Amino acid sequence: MNKKKLYFTFEKIYLSWGCGYMKKLLLFVTLLSFFISSFAVTITMTAGAVGKELELTNIQIQRFMEENPDINVQILPMPNSSTARHDLYVTYLASGTPDPVVLMLDVVWPAEFAPFLVDLKPDYDYFGFDGFLEGTIKSNVVDDKIVAAPWFTDAGFMYYRKDLLEKYGYDAPNTWNELYNIAKDISENEFIDGFVWQGAKYEGLTCDVMEFVHSFGGEIIDNGKVVVDNAENYDKTVAALKFMKKLIDDGVTPKGVTTYMEEEARRQFQNGNAVFMRNWPYAWPLANASDSPVKGKVGIVPVPMGDNGRHSATLGGWNLGINKNSSKAQIDAAKKLVKYLTAYDQQVERATYAGQNPTMKSAYSDAKIKEEAPFVVDLYDVFISAEPRPVTAVYSEVSDAIQRYTYGVLTGQYKAEDAVTRMAKELKQIVGN
Amino acid sequence: MAEKKYKKSDIKLAFWLILPAVVAIAITAFIPLFKTIIDSFFKFTLIPDFPREFVGINNYIDLFKDSRFVESFWNTMYFTVFTVFLEFIIGLVTAVILNASFKLRGIVRAAILIPWAVPTAISSQMWRWMYNDQAGIISNILYTLGWIEPGTPILGTPGYAMNAIVAVDVWKTTPFVALLLLAGLQLIPSELYEAARIDGASKWKQFTTITLPILKPTIAVTLIFRTLDALRVFDIVYIMTGGALGTETLSVYNRTILMDRIFSPRGWYGYGSAISVVIFLIIGVFSVIYIKTMKLKID
Repeated sequence: MNKKKLYFTFEKIYLSWGCGYMKKLLLFVTLLSFFISSFAVTITMTAGAVGKELELTNIQIQRFMEENPDINVQILPMPNSSTARHDLYVTYLASGTPDPVVLMLDVVWPAEFAPFLVDLKPDYDYFGFDGFLEGTIKSNVVDDKIVAAPWFTDAGFMYYRKDLLEKYGYDAPNTWNELYNIAKDISENEFIDGFVWQGAKYEGLTCDVMEFVHSFGGEIIDNGKVVVDNAENYDKTVAALKFMKKLIDDGVTPKGVTTYMEEEARRQFQNGNAVFMRNWPYAWPLANASDSPVKGKVGIVPVPMGDNGRHSATLGGWNLGINKNSSKAQIDAAKKLVKYLTAYDQQVERATYAGQNPTMKSAYSDAKIKEEAPFVVDLYDVFISAEPRPVTAVYSEVSDAIQRYTYGVLTGQYKAEDAVTRMAKELKQIVGN
Repeated sequence: MAEKKYKKSDIKLAFWLILPAVVAIAITAFIPLFKTIIDSFFKFTLIPDFPREFVGINNYIDLFKDSRFVESFWNTMYFTVFTVFLEFIIGLVTAVILNASFKLRGIVRAAILIPWAVPTAISSQMWRWMYNDQAGIISNILYTLGWIEPGTPILGTPGYAMNAIVAVDVWKTTPFVALLLLAGLQLIPSELYEAARIDGASKWKQFTTITLPILKPTIAVTLIFRTLDALRVFDIVYIMTGGALGTETLSVYNRTILMDRIFSPRGWYGYGSAISVVIFLIIGVFSVIYIKTMKLKID
């Protein structure tokens, strides 16, 4: 530092401290901030604990606290597995503690946790729920209440190897039969697997089964009623399960799929060992990362449909709910936070920074997203029509039954017909109709 | 041993010294146990203001009609019998070998403990990968040997899954069994073997007439530890298969009922408590059987 600069620095310090007006202002601001912080509300919020997701949450919350100096937000990082988070929440909520105030909820939990969550319906306009994707709102409606605000959304997609399909002269498949034929042909010639998905007995299997059943035109539970046993749905559901089993029996899908979750399937696909993969959007940036063997060779399309069926994607994603046991001040602060995190700017930032897709319709036409994550915009139709899993307080029992019977079909313990009959019977007992 | 007479002031001091431990155990063990037993006679759920309906022993009656419970009971028995048997046999052989003196004995003794030192959740995940049909080393060895058809997922095939889990538990816990038995072996004075040798007893004779009888209390304690642990096995199964394909054990089923259905309006919490009580009773029965048959003195 030369002499002149040093002089200026001293002068600055002298000016700022010497000037009476500045001094008073500084004192006032300091006192004010002490005064405010003694009235500040502290709210805790659960959030994902890894990578860019947490990084971005920290950045956004920091900004939020600067804009709202009277609110202090603490993040409670949560385990990565959804089931582990569920078990933690269960202990928090059952004990009736006011913390955590803001809960990050998997898309299938709102109904189960509804008795513990603040109804956001009176604040419908405050949160601007009109501008959200319909499916994401629907998955939060319990007994005419809206118990959580959609934060980011997910949907199932079909990933495929562009380079291999081109090499063998195929277009991306639109129906399951096309996919079956392409996968069989290419996998036999390239000595790799045809089509990998999630077939282990866990929640992911329910997601995949729902897509298969819907894409064949079937339905398991509709508007809270078990409909899988009426003649039409029964046949279509049986057809869907038979097709899943056929994929395995004919070697299009490796037998090991009954032990695959998302990561096993992704590893297989990303190492170049499979032609097709059903997975969530998180796999896209990873498959195109610089160290990925299939970088730039991957295409993405909606999940194919069966005969007379439709394209279907299971809705995934996370919502923000507010704990009913928190104090009035905490709940008000939490509403501000939830509104902030689900607002347009934060959603766009989340999509481009962390690859988590917006729940707000208008975000899909945002120029920044178009530029940085064009596939999100291309697949808007899939996101907008993604189908929620049944919204019911007994969801975990419903999903457990679906998993057990479909897994039994995949591993050859049940015939598809028997499995669907027994599943229907058990689901009726669970749902109560 | 003759009973000792204690001074009154000593007894008083002992009372105050023991009291904190008794209170701690009461708070952490007896009160929850007592509450669980009471809960098991009700039908309710943990939603606030949910009516608590007294159902007597209906939860227990329903248990025996619940095919999933009965199945998970037999799965647990299968797991317990095979793991405890294999761990005991292999552990005993290992202990006898490690008791002999050879070069680097200290290092070998420490090294065999590694599987036991790895947290179960981590070793289960590790084995899950080793059983993976594509990249798993165990699968690939078995495929190459032609023992199972290439591409067969070990954890996704009925009949294989449970045995694969038993293998992991044996790998993990045998060192612990060996260590306990080794401690027992070291208590046997070497003069006994010397005397037996002079009398011309064979190695096998020495083993059956000296080693086993003196080792009996240690064996009893080891078997009790292992059996009680095996009966409430949870993490290995939960991580490796999630209870699919006949691997669901009582604890895994109990978690499903208590945690996944905790807020279910169908009211499962009492039923889940009943399962907990039954697990507790089964473990209690096993302990009593062991203690009686081994004539173990607990003092």
